[in-house]
Amino acid sequence: MAQPRLADFFSFLGLPRKLRIDMVDLEQRYRALSRQFHPDYFYNAPPADRRGAVERSSYLNDAYRTLKNPIARVEYLLKLEGLTPEQSAGGSRQGGPPQSLLEEVFALNEELDEVREQKAAGAPPEEWRARLDKARRPIEAKRAEHESQLQALSERWDAVADAGGANGDRRKVLEALRERLLERNYINNLLAGIEKELSA
Amino acid sequence: MSKVVGIDLGTTNSLVAYVKDGVPLVVRDESGDGLVPSVVSAAEGGAIVVGREAERRLLTHAQRTAYSIKRFMGRGREDMQHEAEHFPFRVSGEAGGVVRIGLGDREFTPPEISAFVLRELKRRAESFFATHGEVDNEVDRAVITVPAYFNDAQRTATRDAGRIAGLDVLRIINEPTAASLAYGLERKHAGLIAVYDLGGGTFDISILRVEDGVFQVLATNGDTHLGGDDIDVLLMDRVLGGRARSAEETQAVRQAVIRAKWELSEREETTLDGKRFTRAEFEALIAAIVGRTLGPVRQALADAELQPSQIDEVVLVGGSTRIPLVRRKVEELFGRKPHSELNPDEVVALGAAVQADILVTGNREMLLLDVTPLSLGIETMGGVTSKIIMRNSTIPASGSEMFTTAVDNQTAVDIHVLQGERELVADNRSLARFKLRGIPPMPAGLARVHVQFQIDANGILSVTARELKTDVEQTIEVKPSYGLTDEEVERMLLDSFEHAEADFAARLLIEARNEAENVIQATEKSLRHPEMAEIEKTELAAGERQKIESIVAGLKMVLNSKDRETIQNWTRALNDATQHLAEVVMNRTVKAALAGKNIEDV
Repeated sequence: MAQPRLADFFSFLGLPRKLRIDMVDLEQRYRALSRQFHPDYFYNAPPADRRGAVERSSYLNDAYRTLKNPIARVEYLLKLEGLTPEQSAGGSRQGGPPQSLLEEVFALNEELDEVREQKAAGAPPEEWRARLDKARRPIEAKRAEHESQLQALSERWDAVADAGGANGDRRKVLEALRERLLERNYINNLLAGIEKELSA
Repeated sequence: MSKVVGIDLGTTNSLVAYVKDGVPLVVRDESGDGLVPSVVSAAEGGAIVVGREAERRLLTHAQRTAYSIKRFMGRGREDMQHEAEHFPFRVSGEAGGVVRIGLGDREFTPPEISAFVLRELKRRAESFFATHGEVDNEVDRAVITVPAYFNDAQRTATRDAGRIAGLDVLRIINEPTAASLAYGLERKHAGLIAVYDLGGGTFDISILRVEDGVFQVLATNGDTHLGGDDIDVLLMDRVLGGRARSAEETQAVRQAVIRAKWELSEREETTLDGKRFTRAEFEALIAAIVGRTLGPVRQALADAELQPSQIDEVVLVGGSTRIPLVRRKVEELFGRKPHSELNPDEVVALGAAVQADILVTGNREMLLLDVTPLSLGIETMGGVTSKIIMRNSTIPASGSEMFTTAVDNQTAVDIHVLQGERELVADNRSLARFKLRGIPPMPAGLARVHVQFQIDANGILSVTARELKTDVEQTIEVKPSYGLTDEEVERMLLDSFEHAEADFAARLLIEARNEAENVIQATEKSLRHPEMAEIEKTELAAGERQKIESIVAGLKMVLNSKDRETIQNWTRALNDATQHLAEVVMNRTVKAALAGKNIEDV
């Protein structure tokens, strides 16, 4: 027997499809719905109801986990609005560096190469550690800049959603959000690369 | 309705608890003892002995006696290679299969041994309810606890043990979470709680947020092979120093080091192997073991995105948390004094009883939201694990993955399910291999098989699959890597019924012998009465004394036979034959008392 389709995460928790979420309110909703759906309360119910409780609880847990995390929330919204990462418009194929980061990426790769050479030549750790720390700074600044851009775009999305904005407006905000997310992933990978070099 | 209980199936001891009028209580025997040692011994006649009696048999029949079986649950032969040498019993099993325990001429899987302990707890609870005048005292349903860090195979093995013991296992719950439920009843908590649970064989740390009666686990971590047992092994190595001893002597040393360990929780020094042994020496010896618990604590805090100072309350669970060094380390790490108001041996069973009560009454005041301790994934190209459900996901949890075919007209796909945090398949725990069958023949890559992984509230996995192009439900054959198939569990349940009869008969025989010995003793005491010569002359019939003596001799002869009825018949005969003598002796005692003599003097 096919199960009825469950609503999207926002509707399931009784929330509008917006990016700003009050955490205390989200947790209260989560606890209230858990009290409604949790399998503990369906122990004496018929098998179909018991299965339903497991399914709805799993879905609720997934929804809560996704909406709780600001980045996962944006990713979910993009998916819900039909924007998948592969369809990026800005020419930034997944895997390759986004245009806006090219300069930083080239500079960092050069640094990393030189650090590896230094290491191979047996240079004292203080020397190359200091270099890596220095190389990390501009990238961390870039990430901070991205965080605030993401924040501003999220607010814009909420405003557009409130105003019942035209499809064109919605699309533009969503695409900008997607670009920021892709760049953010890339920045995180760069930082992880530095960490790896530091710990090696 | 029959009774529902909560069971803490521990490495060292097990307990059963129940809820009466909203209050969880431990089931105790007449002497007030609630702990049943998780020790099982196979007697020569085939009878199974469990608990204290089995523990005593470690000193006389070590090779026929199994303990710490929890460490073997859900494990393969290879996993236990290094530990097997520490145990007196045989450890065997096929490569890549379930480990087996040999006791005498019988072989058992770990769930079967655990089932003996569970059956003993069930019996204990039933007789407790019967003597406390409870109606419907049958115990057929239980909530059983497991370490939070137990993987799917270990949980399934525990559930199988319950089934083999004839219990409907309502729920498997995590020990630290159960403990927090028991504590939650004591005081109305709201805030962040860390439960540090160091038992006989396992270590768990769980971080919870409690609010509005919802106990939500944020993160859990641990080590299912770290506990008091490891401390005992260290101490034993120190005493034995590699000297070979018999299995029984080794067990005597084991019990001595356990006593020394306990004493050093109360005192600054004790003696071990005839030598002075100080707490400082002890702490130096176990520092590394205690240190091993701190890594998982830090990881759990990091996963919960919390600093140690943000934790409002720390709760200690498990017998090993009585060790002062453990308490100090925990206090140091969290910067606050941990709670230990509730007995650390009993708190888990109490919590299990609370959860059992919630399940049968549907009481919505409290709700437990637990997590899965390990990430769940599947094997992909190149032996890499692709994660589908992340660790610390609240359960129930589900995840899905799309599969397709690699060659034309392929009708089956193999799927290998794993649990663990590592990248490579080889480094993670193999849970099961599934074969998806019945995919309609079509060109390669066209089939779209949607596989749904569902972790239920017990933390146990089930899998369903559907081919989307044709909407055909797939059949899945589950081959648990280190578990029992349903058929095996069924067969063991049937076996256990057969043996239960044998075990029951053995118990009746022992009871008949005890009864006979009591009657012989009483009779011999009467015959030794200081005035016996006079009694015989004046009050007994001719030949009465001789008749009694010959029946005593006869009963002594049949006493060690296995024929319960004969023993009982002789016992009855002796009872009848001594009736008159007993009356005579009693009358004399009464007369003496009336004459002003002290009864004690008679």
